[in-house]
Amino acid sequence: MKQINIGFLMLMAIAQPTWAEQSQDFIKSYAIQAKQDNAAFLGFDSHRGELFFKSKHEGGDWSCSSCHTENPTLSGLHAVTKKEIEPMAPSVNPARFTNSSKVEKWFKRNCKDVLSRECTTQEKGEVITYLMSLSR
Amino acid sequence: MSERIRVWDLPTRFFHWLLVLSFAGAFFSADSERNRDLHVLFGYTILGLISFRLIWGFIGSRYARFSSFVYYPKVVYLYLCQLIQNKARHPVGHNPAGAVVIILLLLLGIASGLTGWAVYEDIGTDLLPEWHELISNAMLAVVCVHITGVLVSSFLQGENLIATMITGKKQGEANQAIVSNVSSLAWLLLAIVIALWLWAWPATKGLVWLRQMLPW
Repeated sequence: MKQINIGFLMLMAIAQPTWAEQSQDFIKSYAIQAKQDNAAFLGFDSHRGELFFKSKHEGGDWSCSSCHTENPTLSGLHAVTKKEIEPMAPSVNPARFTNSSKVEKWFKRNCKDVLSRECTTQEKGEVITYLMSLSR
Repeated sequence: MSERIRVWDLPTRFFHWLLVLSFAGAFFSADSERNRDLHVLFGYTILGLISFRLIWGFIGSRYARFSSFVYYPKVVYLYLCQLIQNKARHPVGHNPAGAVVIILLLLLGIASGLTGWAVYEDIGTDLLPEWHELISNAMLAVVCVHITGVLVSSFLQGENLIATMITGKKQGEANQAIVSNVSSLAWLLLAIVIALWLWAWPATKGLVWLRQMLPW
């Protein structure tokens, strides 16, 4: 029995990195976190997400769309290097929002560039809600 | 009779300080997309500099050659044992422990540069950026070991080894000195690096800046 358990744990450990999450899972886990952060949390709003995505914040010169463009179903263009960035909307690019460490890394990195701080769970949840609302 | 003799030729010293600058630059430009092209430029510079150093390791002057500082692991171990007992004899070139650190830095620099290049060109998997970060952080750790080693050795030998990497000179016997400083090659190396930086510096802002600095 013990051996089976160890075998199972090892299998879990090997299998874990390949477990693809779904964008829906991010919204669920962000919603749980947002509720913990703020008791008055009412859910994520895709329109607020869109506004957040397209606006500059707190005196910064970049918005998310500075690189990802106003239409996230199309390819983006890096504002500095001019390199192409694959579309953000999961409807056109199913690989988006399938790996939590990647998602957290890029939110952290890009939020610092756009807002000079990290994004709140509310903001992250709303951006993903917005991107998921877009159809091809 | 001990006197001040030249041990590090000028290309080796220029390589060293240009690598310091590029590594620091790459490190401080790593966190923001605003500095992405600067970061990539420093990365390319590191790859170019280390490529030069690998060649120089075969054709350079006496103490710059790998043949003078690639030691058997046993020699490194013995040196470390003697170091602890404060009985170590300090060679004029790299000491056996320091040499291991230098080789590690060269290898990690190449690995960091190549993985960084692959990340920038979108080659490879999602794990590649993680590798790039891990390797670069490992390099930072080895840089800290290198600096600590230099400070400890300076203290034990009673000789400022940081100044040695600037002047190229150390205490030693006259017959241990290197013959030539190879300065023309060093200036060529510096000129190539500066030209690269001016040409590639974010959308050639470097050239605009240079033009403004010129009096005519």
